[in-house]
Amino acid sequence: MDILNQLLQGFATAGTPINLLWCLLGCTIGTAVGVLPGIGPATAVAMLLPITLKVDPTASMIFFAGIYYGAMYGGSTTSILLNTPGESGSMVTAMEGNKMAKAGRAGAALATSAIGSFVAGTIATVLVTFFAPVVAKYAIRLGPPEYFMLMVLAFCTVSAVLGKSTLRGLTALFVGLAMGLVGIDQISGQARYTAGVPELLDGLEVVLIAVGLFAVSEALYNVLYEGRTVETENPMSKVHMTREEWKRSWPAWLRATFIGFPFGTIPAGGSEIPTFLSYATEKKLSKHSAEFGTKGAIEGVAGPEAANNAAITATLIPLLTLGIPTSNTTAILLGAFQNYGIQPGPQLFDKNSGLVWALIASLYIGNVMLLILNLPLIGMWVKLLKIPKSYLYAGILIFATVGVYGMRQSAFDLVLLYAIGLLGVVMRRYDFPTAPVVVGMILGPLAEAQMRNALSIGEGNWSVFVQRPGSLVLLVIVVAVLVLPRVLKLLRRR
Amino acid sequence: MDVKLPQTLVGVGTLATGVMLVVGALSIKSDAGYSGVGPNFMPWVVGVALLACGAFLVYEAYSGGYRELEEPSGAQTGDWPGFVWVSAGILLNAALITTIGFILSCALCFVLAVRGFRSAEGRLDLRPRAWAVDFALGFAIAAPVYWMFTQLLAINLPGLTSTGWL
Repeated sequence: MDILNQLLQGFATAGTPINLLWCLLGCTIGTAVGVLPGIGPATAVAMLLPITLKVDPTASMIFFAGIYYGAMYGGSTTSILLNTPGESGSMVTAMEGNKMAKAGRAGAALATSAIGSFVAGTIATVLVTFFAPVVAKYAIRLGPPEYFMLMVLAFCTVSAVLGKSTLRGLTALFVGLAMGLVGIDQISGQARYTAGVPELLDGLEVVLIAVGLFAVSEALYNVLYEGRTVETENPMSKVHMTREEWKRSWPAWLRATFIGFPFGTIPAGGSEIPTFLSYATEKKLSKHSAEFGTKGAIEGVAGPEAANNAAITATLIPLLTLGIPTSNTTAILLGAFQNYGIQPGPQLFDKNSGLVWALIASLYIGNVMLLILNLPLIGMWVKLLKIPKSYLYAGILIFATVGVYGMRQSAFDLVLLYAIGLLGVVMRRYDFPTAPVVVGMILGPLAEAQMRNALSIGEGNWSVFVQRPGSLVLLVIVVAVLVLPRVLKLLRRR
Repeated sequence: MDVKLPQTLVGVGTLATGVMLVVGALSIKSDAGYSGVGPNFMPWVVGVALLACGAFLVYEAYSGGYRELEEPSGAQTGDWPGFVWVSAGILLNAALITTIGFILSCALCFVLAVRGFRSAEGRLDLRPRAWAVDFALGFAIAAPVYWMFTQLLAINLPGLTSTGWL
């Protein structure tokens, strides 16, 4: 058993005291940013990217992964206790969770979401362990044309399929691609769109865009429009589930895991679809369907939470085996790999197998840590919700400065940060999605390089994309993804 | 005809970005090599695409507004005094960070941002005591962060002195 051997070695690396400490630190910070409104895992990882300058890659990837799924655990706490949902993945949890909390059953809702996250996260990690190497083995045969098509597929799903408006999604994507163009062209070495500013030769920093779009714009949006918004908090109750509640939660967790996982593996990003699917499934199958939407059904919390975690864990498969990010946070994780000069992809499992397996092992360890952090210690996190908004956002601005300034030591970047923050406010006000910007900016230069390599193979002939069976199949999928939803809509209207 | 002015402006902004990209693309050399497309190809694609998106956005704004628009959360109109406070905090931070150092500059940003949020909540407090308390709080957040970066991680952040402590 080659895989088990490598996994054991991964545990040996991840289990050293220093790496355990990084994992714990990541999980703790992750839970905190998940609980705190106004800051999510993408922002937190982006702000902490400067540590890639000094900390070794294994430790920092373990740390970032801890933040990534720690935030999923923490996010459910906020969505159950506050009446304002945090990140989109926990919106569905909030629907039933809020109802349960209002009926005085916040504790049970928190318990089922934490344990459900653990169950789903662990099963999904097992699946990642066994599937990722297989995917990598096949992915190694892909050439530039197939890669380019895969990236186009990721662009289409992130921008055109997930959001409500294809036009606004595409606009956001092209803005992101435009940002990715700034700097020196990888292939010819030519400077593009630098306007003679030397700082721009290296391109725009991922930290800058992510922190500007998420943290600074969140602060500016809040001061502008949410000053008078009063948040109400639901009463806390003892974190405990009855035998009956366990019995109702189990099947929901398991079903949701297998709904969520496939959605994470395909380049279709986001956990909105699987969480909604799981919610709909539970509502249909439940014997207590009268509780849905009235006093809150525990299945309606257990399912979506588990689906969310399974999907989040599964996004590591396209990230690690293909180098394709399908969400904000995985896009920034890709940026972190790039800072080390590591390009995730099929070769990662050969060239950096130590790092990959330590990372996967740390997912198992992190899930256990998070279960402990989120069940007995939940009271500690709930206190974070009491921080006044003024201090919270002003504090976030300090951390934003550290992240951006620490990366390149340039005061010019801080002015750019403010400009990106303003862009974020406009995007939020007019309902433009942000994920396409970040994914476009990070994946754009890679896609351009693959496209030009593919055309070199075809000696300048575009037919290279249809002559190879792999890329032809992918092209058909891309077209289907773009066209089918519209055709279905038209047919339904008839 | 129902014309939404801000939405039109967003569309025009997109158009302007497209124009900028296309103008920039004109000055990029096109030494294509084997592949037939050079470094100016993507700039052209992105520029033209943004022009198209901008035009569509303007069209939507002119014909009843953006489609399937989710109502933005929060108030109808912006609270501009609060916005100015927070903006001043961020921009002063950018201007002063290299001269007065990370800790003091960030503490100042913190104080100004807190003023902004308080003002947006309708309880702006300009008494010296409140300034001092908030400044101390900002200092207490910025200082440990600074020490962690400079002492533990050895990442350079500007200081007022070169001791690495302030």
